[in-house]
Amino acid sequence: MKINKSFIGLIVVSTIFLIYASGFYKNLQSNSALEIVDFSTEESLENKNIPSNPDRIPLYGDLHVHTKYSFDAYIFGVTATPYDAYKYAIGEGIKHPLGYEMKIKEPLDFYAVTDHGFYMGMIENYADTSSKMSKNEWTKPMHNLNRPENVTVESTGERANLFSSVLTQAIIKPYPWWHPKYLGAWLTNNIQLALQSFDYDVHKSAWADVANAAEEFNEPGKFTTFIGYEFTASTQVEGGNLHRNVIFNSSKAPIRPWTRIDSLNPEDLWTWMDALREKGVDSLAMPHNSNGSNGQMFEVETFRGNAIDKEYAEKRMRNEPIVEITQVKGTSDTHPLLSPDDEWADFEIMNKRVGSRPPTYSMPQGGYVRDAYLRGLTLEWKNQGNPYKFGLIGSSDTHTGAGAFDEDNYWSKTGVLDGTDMGRGSVPLTQDRIDQLSQYAIDYDQPISVKEIDGRTYANVGFDQWGASGLAVAWAEANTRESIFQAFKRKETFATTGTRMAVRFFAGYNMDSIDLNSEDMVKNAYANGVTMGADLFGENNQTPQFLVWAQRDKLAAPLQRIQIIKGWVEDDSGTPKEIIYDVACSDGLSVDPKTNRCPDNGARVNINDCSISSDVGAVELKAVWTDPNFDPTIKAFYYVRVLENPTCRWSTWDAVKAGVSPRPDLHKTIQERAWSSPIWYIPESSNLDIIPL
Amino acid sequence: MSLRIIIFFLIGLLIFILDIGFNAEQDSKDIYISDQELTSLLSAWESQVGRPPSDDEIVNIINNFVQEEILYREALLLGLDQDDQIIKRRLGQKITFLKQETIPEHPSEEELEEFFEDNKNTYYIPATYSFSHHYFSKESNAKERAASAMESFLNHGTELVGDPFFLGKNFYNYTAIEIKKNFGEVFFLALKGLTINEWSGPHESAFGEHIILLKEVSDGFYPPLEKVLLRVEQDYLAQAQDKAVADYINEISSEYRVIINPNFKF
Repeated sequence: MKINKSFIGLIVVSTIFLIYASGFYKNLQSNSALEIVDFSTEESLENKNIPSNPDRIPLYGDLHVHTKYSFDAYIFGVTATPYDAYKYAIGEGIKHPLGYEMKIKEPLDFYAVTDHGFYMGMIENYADTSSKMSKNEWTKPMHNLNRPENVTVESTGERANLFSSVLTQAIIKPYPWWHPKYLGAWLTNNIQLALQSFDYDVHKSAWADVANAAEEFNEPGKFTTFIGYEFTASTQVEGGNLHRNVIFNSSKAPIRPWTRIDSLNPEDLWTWMDALREKGVDSLAMPHNSNGSNGQMFEVETFRGNAIDKEYAEKRMRNEPIVEITQVKGTSDTHPLLSPDDEWADFEIMNKRVGSRPPTYSMPQGGYVRDAYLRGLTLEWKNQGNPYKFGLIGSSDTHTGAGAFDEDNYWSKTGVLDGTDMGRGSVPLTQDRIDQLSQYAIDYDQPISVKEIDGRTYANVGFDQWGASGLAVAWAEANTRESIFQAFKRKETFATTGTRMAVRFFAGYNMDSIDLNSEDMVKNAYANGVTMGADLFGENNQTPQFLVWAQRDKLAAPLQRIQIIKGWVEDDSGTPKEIIYDVACSDGLSVDPKTNRCPDNGARVNINDCSISSDVGAVELKAVWTDPNFDPTIKAFYYVRVLENPTCRWSTWDAVKAGVSPRPDLHKTIQERAWSSPIWYIPESSNLDIIPL
Repeated sequence: MSLRIIIFFLIGLLIFILDIGFNAEQDSKDIYISDQELTSLLSAWESQVGRPPSDDEIVNIINNFVQEEILYREALLLGLDQDDQIIKRRLGQKITFLKQETIPEHPSEEELEEFFEDNKNTYYIPATYSFSHHYFSKESNAKERAASAMESFLNHGTELVGDPFFLGKNFYNYTAIEIKKNFGEVFFLALKGLTINEWSGPHESAFGEHIILLKEVSDGFYPPLEKVLLRVEQDYLAQAQDKAVADYINEISSEYRVIINPNFKF
């Protein structure tokens, strides 16, 4: 009798469990990040005849923009919506959280709002005291955070504290294991549902709003948008930044973003993207801030510490054809320690791990793109495939909805925190601000937040290493999603530090037959060679020529020089090598063949008023160049760097505008620049059979 | 009281009890799935997966539906719908949709015309310019070369040939903003005043000199309603829907009284 009873009990319990479990099975489909939603609007577009240029035109954009839906942006006082962000890109002014207007000098051709997928929309929901989430005790410090009277410089301390402590402690708290939601999350493969601080409906509607805004502003032929988000993962132990932006090729996108809660491993992101591609939704992921990854963005092994193989390389390149080389948080071309012979390597270096508290040094090896290209060749030399054969773009990573691209029109990116000159450390603090910051340090038990430099007191913040950068440029036939997306996939792209200069780059075996002054130059170059992002294959041990052409930004400084950066791996030893050749100089100057450098063109900056030499520099530069040390049997990459004449850095502009002298320990001037995607030289297959040691 | 009556009474009671039991069972424990519901379940599955479900899958679909219905009803019996923020909001949404749907699906012509007149600027089509040019780079004697090229063209009919330009030679339907962005303000002002189909120049830009052939100007204009009818209709409906909801709330809120503790400390 007794046995019988407990037996019945067992049956009852397991039946209940089964009903419960299979009830959630249905959600496996609806909650899965593979469910596809068509966000296209029904708005009828008159079938416009969009002119297409077979020689392609450079289209300028930003693929890295945060709005109030990003957890950190909301904490920084940002209330700009994705719609506001797109308005900014097409030339309308929008408000900075501190009240002033942000307006771009000239409209952009494309823009993508990429809010953090992780907790998208949730912080605004905590702040909204009518929401369900706001009933939780731990949301209290965030209640009505961005009420107008609280979006002030004085709230900086509170916000910095929320960002660094309250948020991280409160946010990721799962329900206990026995809780139905925990089971539901497990069954539906959506771990987010197991978190007490997460409301899936709020999250989904934020994502839908991001997508709808993109759809509303996309205007084929005039202005292109992409539905996108940021996958904000990092390595668990060292906190190495593994962030990527993901953009989709059409109006169709998944019902929710795949985030760091699903997995910290970027390989899982690619698996998800591959699965979406199977379903007809193409996407690409763009790594950024490799400089703050502690060398882990371009590791020589996989996330789990296994050896990289060809399958990994192919999967990575299929999903990540382009990388963001420059943005507000520094530039990742190379580091002075990696390229001691590159006189321009010390450019906008940001040497801290992204988001580290306290700020922690980020190892340069494996964190910069030139090093990554060399690592790729080395891996290939060892027969492991090349996972680092990517093209280049820049973007802003603004968190205010509005990219700050100009040194003289700069608001950095974290809203209230760095929206003033004093806040970003370029101008000495007033006594009021010193008192405020000291009080904040005491209140929140924070380390010292001011520093003395030459007898003046500045905010002790990392923002002084940030800068007014950058832009993504695509060579496309027309300003449409399809055309631009294809340019990204071809890697026919270049990056700039915010200016609108343009660069062409071709390689082939009879480039020297092309007349550089012919109106058909570009047509001939396309017909006779390959362009940036492509492979040039060896042909009968011939030496190829490279054609470069750069044009200035009419509103920025004139051009100073064009350089070609070459990297290769020595065949016998496997040693990576790099060398920089100047190939075109302004002002009729010519390259010294001994040093491979242009002579000084005499361009100078007056740091008292930021005026520049008006009589030197070039409107355009062009050249056909042959590598003097070309070896047809060795793989190599070649990419272009174009340098403008020097101009004031934003920190100098801040000082000039405030009527004080610039901070002595910061660079006073910078040389704005552009980088093309590389062309890879691949020897004929007979020479390719390198047996791994 | 006779035994008969007591027996009748007991039988009556029994029937009454049975009736309660049976009816209650029938009222709340039947799950009736209509043909229509079945069709919509199956077609929803098909639209997600891309093929019709197999027999096994149909069983699954129905089981899932049934289980959801059971959980839903049990939850209602337990009163789990009370004081739930999400359900509240969802119901609020539903009545909003309902009110939005009260407006006619197709507004009358007069309504559309009036709306169009009031919002004309939204639909303005800016002027566009189609042109070709020959470019003479500032890097090599732009002014002289351009002037002499123009001179030989006019006097001897020599073919115009310039330098390569980054954006090419031909431009179709560019707006003022686009031209200013690509060539600068000065260039646009010159272009604007040109005679159609007549080579003109040299004209200066940020990059050098240009000899320009303005081919076509499409003046900016307010499009006739027919051309943008669909957009206008959608915009009208969107506005009308917002208004319908606002009107409804205004109307009904007068019937409500809001009571807040006057001593509450905010």
